[in-house]
Amino acid sequence: MNMNKDAFAGFHPVVNMMYFTVVVVFSMFFTHPACLGASLVCAVAYSVYLNGRKAVRFTLVFMLPMLMATAMLNPLFNHEGSTILAYLPDGNPLTLESMLYGVAAATMLVTVISWFSCLNAVMTTDKFVYLFGRIAPALSLMLAMALRFVPRFKVQLKVIADAQKCVGRNASDGNLLQKARHGIRMLSIMVTWALENAIETADSMKSRGYGLPGRTAFSIYRFDKRDRTALAFILACATYVAAGAVTGGLYFRYFPTINGVWGTPYAISIFISHLALGAVPVILNFREDLVWKSIALKA
Amino acid sequence: MKKHKILMAAIAFAVLAGAWIYGGNYPEQGDQPQAADTAAQTAEQKEVQGNAEFIRVAAMQEGAEQEAPEQEGAVLPAPDETAEPPLAELQSADVDDGSFTVSLTVRCDTILGNMNMLNKEKHELVPSDGVILEATTVTAYEGESVFNVLQRTMKQAKIHMAFRNTPVYNSAYIEAINNLYEFDVGELSGWLYCVNEWYPSYGCSNCQLKPGDAIEWNYTCDLGRDLGQFWVNGWQVDEYE
Repeated sequence: MNMNKDAFAGFHPVVNMMYFTVVVVFSMFFTHPACLGASLVCAVAYSVYLNGRKAVRFTLVFMLPMLMATAMLNPLFNHEGSTILAYLPDGNPLTLESMLYGVAAATMLVTVISWFSCLNAVMTTDKFVYLFGRIAPALSLMLAMALRFVPRFKVQLKVIADAQKCVGRNASDGNLLQKARHGIRMLSIMVTWALENAIETADSMKSRGYGLPGRTAFSIYRFDKRDRTALAFILACATYVAAGAVTGGLYFRYFPTINGVWGTPYAISIFISHLALGAVPVILNFREDLVWKSIALKA
Repeated sequence: MKKHKILMAAIAFAVLAGAWIYGGNYPEQGDQPQAADTAAQTAEQKEVQGNAEFIRVAAMQEGAEQEAPEQEGAVLPAPDETAEPPLAELQSADVDDGSFTVSLTVRCDTILGNMNMLNKEKHELVPSDGVILEATTVTAYEGESVFNVLQRTMKQAKIHMAFRNTPVYNSAYIEAINNLYEFDVGELSGWLYCVNEWYPSYGCSNCQLKPGDAIEWNYTCDLGRDLGQFWVNGWQVDEYE
């Protein structure tokens, strides 16, 4: 198998950061179905590439039901739209536009969550600190710590739970009152550990002179030709799509009737560049895999 | 342990769902007439009459509608006016099942002067003469409110209408007609109703109808002032001092 699991993560942090910023912002602001679809496909494909079977399971078990629930809940509360399909039990109209808008909003939600799961895997703590450590040291350290917060607490909670289980104080032992007492004890241990850990981290960073002027930071990142090409491609695509959105090439409305730009060559060119932008990591990874395989075959 | 968790979650969900439904999100009176206790009124009868009696009186006064919005009261069937056969027929129906006729108009003239404040996407919704539903004679049943008649008529005329129930006032609040929502033309805009050119100070579900009432729904862009209605602390006044 491939040694470097994710080729895109091996690029310079500036390229990674730029890519995720652009892609997440576009996913959040463009409501055109073509853009939503392209973003969804790219985000899910990349998260599956990164996290494998876990991402597939997460998508099917969590994202798909959420998408369907959001799509079905929207018409219950939003009755706007000119195409009345039926009437709800409370007497308000059920409209086609509100249903489709629900689908669009749900797609957007799922897409952004998928992008963030990719971002979590690619933008590691050291990349964050490398990028923002000089500009905003306190903020970047806090951000790096906050991003690690949940996974780290989950691990620590498991450690505490295992230790408590050994002395017969598991949260599932005893009657209701005892269970509650064991649970609260575990919470108390957890909070104590978290506070102590935070102080230790702060002291440790301070004693190393973090954030002081003139302090250099070791980094293994080099901005070479490959990064320059990737960054140029991402910026070119992003500029073209943003310019297209400003000039109305991505015009789409859901209310009161559905209407938007679809088939014009200009619109199609914007959709293609949007798709190309989203697919950058997946394409890079596939190319890398092919190259690796061909080398492995030769050897 | 896991079973308990699921059970607890299910109970919590059931309680919340119950509270939500009980909290007044379903109207006590749908499009059924309130006087359901009249034995003669079967569901079929209502359906047939509802459609047959949906007559556009406006067709009779073609051409006159442009210059005479104030004269809409004139199309009402006055009790002694037996000269016109269709109206006389409707009158005679009153005796049988407690139904009578009222007139209903929906207009949004005030938007025409404030089009720049309306979202461009909604310009197509505003008719050039401001009339969404011309003065129309519709059937109402005894004990019905302005809301019941509006809801049924909008359903039959296939015009969009959205409302929400406000338990505090025990009434429905009309959010939108024809996709023109409240606050669409500035923050003082919304739908107001009047019966016989009088604007009640209570909700449309609490306004009981009498035979021959003239209901008018008007869009206001200025809290009713552009319709000649002035309120001070909830009390209606003729004019501000």
